[in-house]
Amino acid sequence: MAVILGVLKPLGRLVTLLLRAGRNFAWIAMGLMVLIIMLQVFFRYVLGNALAWPDEGARFLMLWMTALIAPTAYRWGGFVSIDMVKDLLPPRIGAVLGLALLLVSLVVLVYGFRLGLNHVNSGWLFASSSLKLPLEFLGLGLVRIKLAWMYMSLPVGLFLMILVNIELCLKSIAYLIDPDADLPEDHDRVIVAVE
Amino acid sequence: MLFFFLPLFLFFLMIGLPVFFGMLAAPGFLLWLNGQERDIALLYRNVYTGMDSFPLMAIPFFMLAGELMNRGGITMRIVEFSQAMIGHLKGGLAHVNIMSSMLFAGLSGSAVADVSALGSMLIPAMEKNGYKRRFAAAVTAASSVIGPIIPPSGIMIIYAYVMGESVAALFLAGIVPGILIGISLMLVVGFLAKRNDFPAASRRATWPEKGQASLKAFFPLLTPVIILGGILGGVFTPTEASAVAAVYAFIVALFILKTMGWADLPKVLTKAAMTTSVVLLLVGAAMAFKTVVSLSHAPEIMANFILGLSENPYILLFLINILLFVVGMFLDAGPAIIILGPILGPIFTDLGVHPVHFAIIMSVNLTVGLATPPMGLVLFVTSSVSGERVETIAKAILPFLAVQIVAIFLITFVPQISLYLPQLFGFAN
Repeated sequence: MAVILGVLKPLGRLVTLLLRAGRNFAWIAMGLMVLIIMLQVFFRYVLGNALAWPDEGARFLMLWMTALIAPTAYRWGGFVSIDMVKDLLPPRIGAVLGLALLLVSLVVLVYGFRLGLNHVNSGWLFASSSLKLPLEFLGLGLVRIKLAWMYMSLPVGLFLMILVNIELCLKSIAYLIDPDADLPEDHDRVIVAVE
Repeated sequence: MLFFFLPLFLFFLMIGLPVFFGMLAAPGFLLWLNGQERDIALLYRNVYTGMDSFPLMAIPFFMLAGELMNRGGITMRIVEFSQAMIGHLKGGLAHVNIMSSMLFAGLSGSAVADVSALGSMLIPAMEKNGYKRRFAAAVTAASSVIGPIIPPSGIMIIYAYVMGESVAALFLAGIVPGILIGISLMLVVGFLAKRNDFPAASRRATWPEKGQASLKAFFPLLTPVIILGGILGGVFTPTEASAVAAVYAFIVALFILKTMGWADLPKVLTKAAMTTSVVLLLVGAAMAFKTVVSLSHAPEIMANFILGLSENPYILLFLINILLFVVGMFLDAGPAIIILGPILGPIFTDLGVHPVHFAIIMSVNLTVGLATPPMGLVLFVTSSVSGERVETIAKAILPFLAVQIVAIFLITFVPQISLYLPQLFGFAN
């Protein structure tokens, strides 16, 4: 038990910090997406000059936003599931089932993460069609952004979800050993969820 | 072998695996057993490409618009407006609840947003007014399904994305069915109000009061006009319209109504981003699931099976209604559309059902399913908003469900209900 708590506490703190950073990125990305699309409308209608990059740029942000905030949703129980069976079972057996389901999810996440890394590797070969970085000041001219930077979003999200999943697994093991154990909570949840 | 992905998926779902993981684990496991490692990589790529879409971006923006309106006190103005208009009827607050849902549906595209916004305000108010809490919760849940039927609508954006239909046509097609469902729910309330002697507002609002309430609700109620007008007039794409709606909601809340400050912005954006992320991951997973559906020849098998039952489109539509209703009980509308749309859509278009009409049949069926147990997302949210148990609400919702089923049949068998507006505006032939 001491071992589990010894791992769980620092892991929980790490996840809290990472997810907090992720949420901050996500809300800024959401705001930027709105601005970019408005800019697109403005350029097309008012200036009569459609820009090439807003479409891809906004998608870039949306993918990263999803990847960085979905782990928080996962940690806070935002992934929809049918809990009927678990609720009908006696608490301990229900907890064992819960742990088994977490392990199935972990397999999906780890497998997905590995496939994601391959996908990212392939992304270095292709450049974005419209996203360019003006690096003239470095003497590099206009540099096309590699698609790998977009591809990277999903594996990063899956990695964060793996951390959350491990945390949830440890919590449910701790619960199985001692149902009254004092497990660390994510205090951010209260701050964000309360109106 | 691969055909078993569907039973396996349902098994995972029933024992409580989150839908997102179930949609990947079931086909992934079978592909792995078959030694089709390459197709598992395809599965992953489809999750990614499924999410990487410009039309889908309308979902986060409409979520954001809804969140902004809610935070900005716009919900309250809509409720006050409905109260001034029909609060004096017997069962006033129940009618107000339904009317507010219909109006709110023009601002938001999700039933869950509708429940959490209106429920937290109207359920306590109804209780104080002498209604039973379970009845208040049931009215809220039943009427919230109008949210994704009257445009804007998250699930219709998903439908249009998967099936290549026009978002504008689907949005227009949803208006009349949404109003029809709203009115039929009001009829139930009217009937119950007489029988159970429901309370009404103490007096009818005077004309100046009505004017005042309308004025206060004017800017919020302009939103659907801007969204639909913009899309229909060819001014913006649906995605742009959704961004405009978000900005408009922001301006209304921050500068016109002054009900929100800059400091509230991060929280609102965070909430919208979080809800979106869950939906987008589900869409990605469902797109991946869909590839396995086609690899497995399930569509052909299912088409043969369905066409073997009968050749009469009416009988088949009736059976599909039942199937979709049952599916809606277990699966969220978005994933259900992505998985079943490509299988069922072509079968029925070949039989002569208009694609836009079929889109509405599917969307209405599946959204009504959102308020039925065991997997009714709307029921869960209503339960947490009201503090009433899911089972209790599920029982109290039955009379409403009954008329909703009648409305579904009307929508299914009278195509003009859905097709009149899109044809009028030239978005469907």
